[in-house]
Amino acid sequence: MLIANRGEIALRINRACQELGVKTVAIFSEADRESLHVRQADEAFCVGPGPVARSYLNIPNIISTALVTGCDAIHPGYGFMAENARFASICADHGIVFIGPKPEVIAAMGDKATAKRVMKEAGVATTPGTDILASVDEARKAASKIGYPVLIKATAGGGGKGMRVVERPEDLERSFHGASSEAEASFKDGRVYMEKLIRDPRHIEVQVLADEFGNVVHLGERDCSVQKPSHQKLIEEAPAPALSDKARRALHEMAIKACKHVKYSNAGTLEFLADGDNVYFMEMNTRIQVEHPVTEMVYSVDLVKEQIRIASGEKLGYAQSDLALRGHAIECRINAEDASNNFAPEAGTLTKVVFPGGPGIRVDTHVFSGAQVPPYYDSMIAKIVAFGATRDAAIARMERALRETVIEGVHTTIDECLVILATPEFRAGNYNIGFLPRLLETQAADAALAAAAVTA
Amino acid sequence: MSDVQTPPGDIAARVRRLVEAFIETDLIRVRIERDGERIEVGRPPMRQDHAQVAEAVALAAEPVPVRNVELIKADLVGIFRLSRPAPVEGDLLEGDRELAYVEALGIRNPVRSRGAGRIAAILCKDGDAVDYGRPLFELDRG
Repeated sequence: MLIANRGEIALRINRACQELGVKTVAIFSEADRESLHVRQADEAFCVGPGPVARSYLNIPNIISTALVTGCDAIHPGYGFMAENARFASICADHGIVFIGPKPEVIAAMGDKATAKRVMKEAGVATTPGTDILASVDEARKAASKIGYPVLIKATAGGGGKGMRVVERPEDLERSFHGASSEAEASFKDGRVYMEKLIRDPRHIEVQVLADEFGNVVHLGERDCSVQKPSHQKLIEEAPAPALSDKARRALHEMAIKACKHVKYSNAGTLEFLADGDNVYFMEMNTRIQVEHPVTEMVYSVDLVKEQIRIASGEKLGYAQSDLALRGHAIECRINAEDASNNFAPEAGTLTKVVFPGGPGIRVDTHVFSGAQVPPYYDSMIAKIVAFGATRDAAIARMERALRETVIEGVHTTIDECLVILATPEFRAGNYNIGFLPRLLETQAADAALAAAAVTA
Repeated sequence: MSDVQTPPGDIAARVRRLVEAFIETDLIRVRIERDGERIEVGRPPMRQDHAQVAEAVALAAEPVPVRNVELIKADLVGIFRLSRPAPVEGDLLEGDRELAYVEALGIRNPVRSRGAGRIAAILCKDGDAVDYGRPLFELDRG
């Protein structure tokens, strides 16, 4: 099997293959020649220079590597080639199994509007909203039905352009025209639609596994609401700490219904926005996710092995009733970033690296003392996962593990994670996606105050 | 890569490691016997008298003519094939010539000498799978 990725996920996949007795071929860029994934695979092929467009996204060289080494399958990991429907169909054209769902399912879920429509058909709750609005009058009627605040969004929009938050009815007309003319100017398409604004929701996602015979199970949910202002996840946990049993059950049932409806196969994740016990489908990720280990810890499954088994045509060997949640797991992403400077990524040599160990700790990483962090790739250098019988036990273990960790040579997110874990909000499980941005603002203000005090 | 991947029983790899260690010494013979296996590595004894050392020092002091040697590397992943007529080491090339091709996804991607020179070494065998940046030819540009 060819592993079309780098870093910790390439090692994670290689480990699953080793345990299954599957021979592996690693690919690497010139910047990753000394990487651990290159050393641990049975064979390794350089596919291009450092920049991703010429190496890890170089489809001809990746496919050619698979062919000249006689690989039967390609595991894309996350990022890079994962969720690339064209790559999945090119694999199929060359008789190579792409470890993931069918290309048409990847394509359908990759388009947000299509995904939302398909999920609605399946009876999955989506954010209340409208189709294209023809007039301000129509918008006014829709808004009073949905309830303020609402979002007016350009159908061709992106990057916040052509989007307006409307808090009160008297602002509707101005916002409607504003969004429309901005979209017309930016995208030459002024059509807008409306969605309910969910303020400070929680990000909750459901892990699913589906075989190619229509059997689907869920492996519970993860709460990934601790997000940087850039919406990148920093801390994830399973199960979600603040969800009623009724809402939890409804969420799991929706996920299974959705998978059956789209004839999903392999591992996948459905992301939802949660507002109290109201959950709305946001998008589906048709790949293994960074935070999959928290699910593995509490369900005692190996999701990557399951992906490989499913792709090789095996049936799920268990039913939903065979799966039981046990304990609690938390993951902290350790990134080579400066948390006090907007999480600016850093590259360089890791002069000293010591990872934690002991009961209930799992570390997924590709770095070691002396390793290089190249500037071309994602800044995540490790995932530390803590398991505990209870949430409190898992938090205590995570704090202990983070304090044991030594990484010198770059700034890391370790200290920020420790600050977050100590907050009353996190302790109580009472946080949403607005939590970390607000915490950072407070920290910045405190730092400014301290600096002023020193100068004075 | 080598240490991690080498199975402990791989004689060839163990001999290679022994030779590498041996080269760094000035021993003339090393023999390792274990579990009924015997590996012996040696080289012809070198007479190293003062005259020889003086000669070596003199040679080192003389300016060595600098040869302009260039590596031609693979710029994509595929199977290496020598073009016909097959070039051999020592061939003099008068100008740009197709030396080989890398076959990838059914397409032959020519490997050219990009100018005149002498083929100092052919670094891959016909039929080898080559990756990006793999040295294929060593050309002496004079």
